[in-house]
Amino acid sequence: MNSNLSPRAKVAVYGLMLILLIPFVFPTWWMVTSSVKPISDIFAFPPEIIPSRFDFSTYRQAFELQPFARQYWNSAYIAAIVTCGTLLFSAMAGYAFARIDFPFANALFMVLLVGLLIPSEVTIVPLFQIFLGWDMINTHWPLILVPVFGAPSVFATFVMRQFFIALPKELEEAARVDGLGRFKIFWTIALPLAKPALGAVAIFTFLHSWNLYLEPIVFLSSPEKFTLPQALTQFTDAYGGAMWNIQLAAATMTAIPVLIVFVIAQRQFVEGLAHTGLKG
Amino acid sequence: MAPVTFSNVQKSYGAHSVIHGVDIDIADGEFVVLVGPSGCGKSTLLRMLAGLETISGGDIVIDDTVVNDLEPKQRDIAMVFQNYALYPHMTVADNMGFSLHHRGASKTEIKERVDWAAGILGLDAYLERRPGQLSGGQRQRVAMGRAIVRDPKVFLFDEPLSNLDAKLRVVMRGEIKALHQKLKTTTIYVTHDQVEAMTMADKIVVLNGGRIEQIGSPLDLYDNPVNQFVAAFIGSPSMNFIEGHVEGANFVTGDARLPAPTALPIGKPVVYGVRPEHFRLDPEGGINAEVVVVEPMGSETQVTMQIAGQNVFGIFRERVSARPGEVLTLGVDQTHTHLFDAGSGLRLTAA
Repeated sequence: MNSNLSPRAKVAVYGLMLILLIPFVFPTWWMVTSSVKPISDIFAFPPEIIPSRFDFSTYRQAFELQPFARQYWNSAYIAAIVTCGTLLFSAMAGYAFARIDFPFANALFMVLLVGLLIPSEVTIVPLFQIFLGWDMINTHWPLILVPVFGAPSVFATFVMRQFFIALPKELEEAARVDGLGRFKIFWTIALPLAKPALGAVAIFTFLHSWNLYLEPIVFLSSPEKFTLPQALTQFTDAYGGAMWNIQLAAATMTAIPVLIVFVIAQRQFVEGLAHTGLKG
Repeated sequence: MAPVTFSNVQKSYGAHSVIHGVDIDIADGEFVVLVGPSGCGKSTLLRMLAGLETISGGDIVIDDTVVNDLEPKQRDIAMVFQNYALYPHMTVADNMGFSLHHRGASKTEIKERVDWAAGILGLDAYLERRPGQLSGGQRQRVAMGRAIVRDPKVFLFDEPLSNLDAKLRVVMRGEIKALHQKLKTTTIYVTHDQVEAMTMADKIVVLNGGRIEQIGSPLDLYDNPVNQFVAAFIGSPSMNFIEGHVEGANFVTGDARLPAPTALPIGKPVVYGVRPEHFRLDPEGGINAEVVVVEPMGSETQVTMQIAGQNVFGIFRERVSARPGEVLTLGVDQTHTHLFDAGSGLRLTAA
């Protein structure tokens, strides 16, 4: 923030920022506080911003009503594999598109980008048919293969390509003179310097996989195979009514890994940025 | 250490030819500077020698081996880049030892070589730092260190000083020269700065438009340029060129007559070349020059003048107190003047 503002202006600016913060923070606040309210208090009027009664049993019940730990693990390991896979493939493909001269490279890249224009809802039925043929329905394979070889990976490839194009060519030429082959240049020079881009790709790939909703409800049918977004919808009572406090407790737990990934990847992001430049 | 030969080397990008058959012989241990204006092909030649650009025609030979189709790593060369190209994610020591590491050298050997190079270049205190924590001059030294640890056959420098400030450039110029005298490794150095070329080279290759204009020792180029381009490019301030024609033993421009260095066909349109320092104040000299600007430098006086309406620049050891508009009478040292063909720019020699 500009330090040469007068104290009064500072107060005004910070006040405005605080007001603007409310729409971003309120939903999270409501989720966390409602998760510990008895269900009747959630709809109390006037709304209780600070809960008057605390009921932490909702967190226990989330695990009792469903194989929630199992579902948590499903989401976590799928997101981890998808993130690693996407990082690997998009980094290699992005590097190839940025640096290797091969026939039709640009045309091929355009074709790849076109993949981003097709909504996943359009391809979900054909994909279901394909995975049915491969006997992969009600397994986690579609949730791994579709993002790693689908739109998120294409977007990641685009990000990586743009990064590698901007990386000074002299670094790689120096490495060639130093005796490195193409793959070693990629692995020991280009990739370590791509940390900021990799961090960004990791954040959005993990988020995308973690929040995936349509694919799990299409491909999965047994609760122990479910992922979290799908599991959250299953906290209902005998009459099909939502058990809001338990659902929000589960939702709160669902949000935690995203925060952790964001904090870790963000640090990489900043660190990477700090020593990428080749400034003279 | 090795001799390097370019024979009829050509480079074209599609139909666009940028190097038109270049021949250069570089002796073992020689310091050769490729110099020329930007776009003359000097960096391309260096990159072809390094193996970073393909060769469209001719041969490049390093130590009796034709290297046209060899990978850079097989050529046993080391290169210093204009922007240093240090690996930002590695320490100085790792940067310098990187190539040895990838050639399978032992840790003790790498350390020994890196310490040796760091000692020569005064980098001992910086080995654990990252390039981002060093100044421009220090980075330049690390880039040189990375080149010398491997003890290659040939050093290649691609405009290594152009990112440094003027003062540091002079210091590093001396350091590179001293390093060459110590290691005696064949060195090929590309620059657009003729001062670097003059002060560092054993042999200068002047390039223009993908062709060699002249090859020779610095003073040879200075004293005997084969054409107007070399005459203008080498030397700072640049040589004066005065347009006119020959009449008997004189060069005539307007109402001024200057002694011609060579006897030439009368009436031929020519360009008279004389370096600023070869004018002298001489009441008997017979050349009248009208003063335009006087710039006293202390050790010398630089004077911009007009001879028969054409601007010329003179440097005098004496202090000149003339005012603009006054007329100085000058002489020239005839042995240091040149006549160039007005059409081709080639230097004319006595028939």
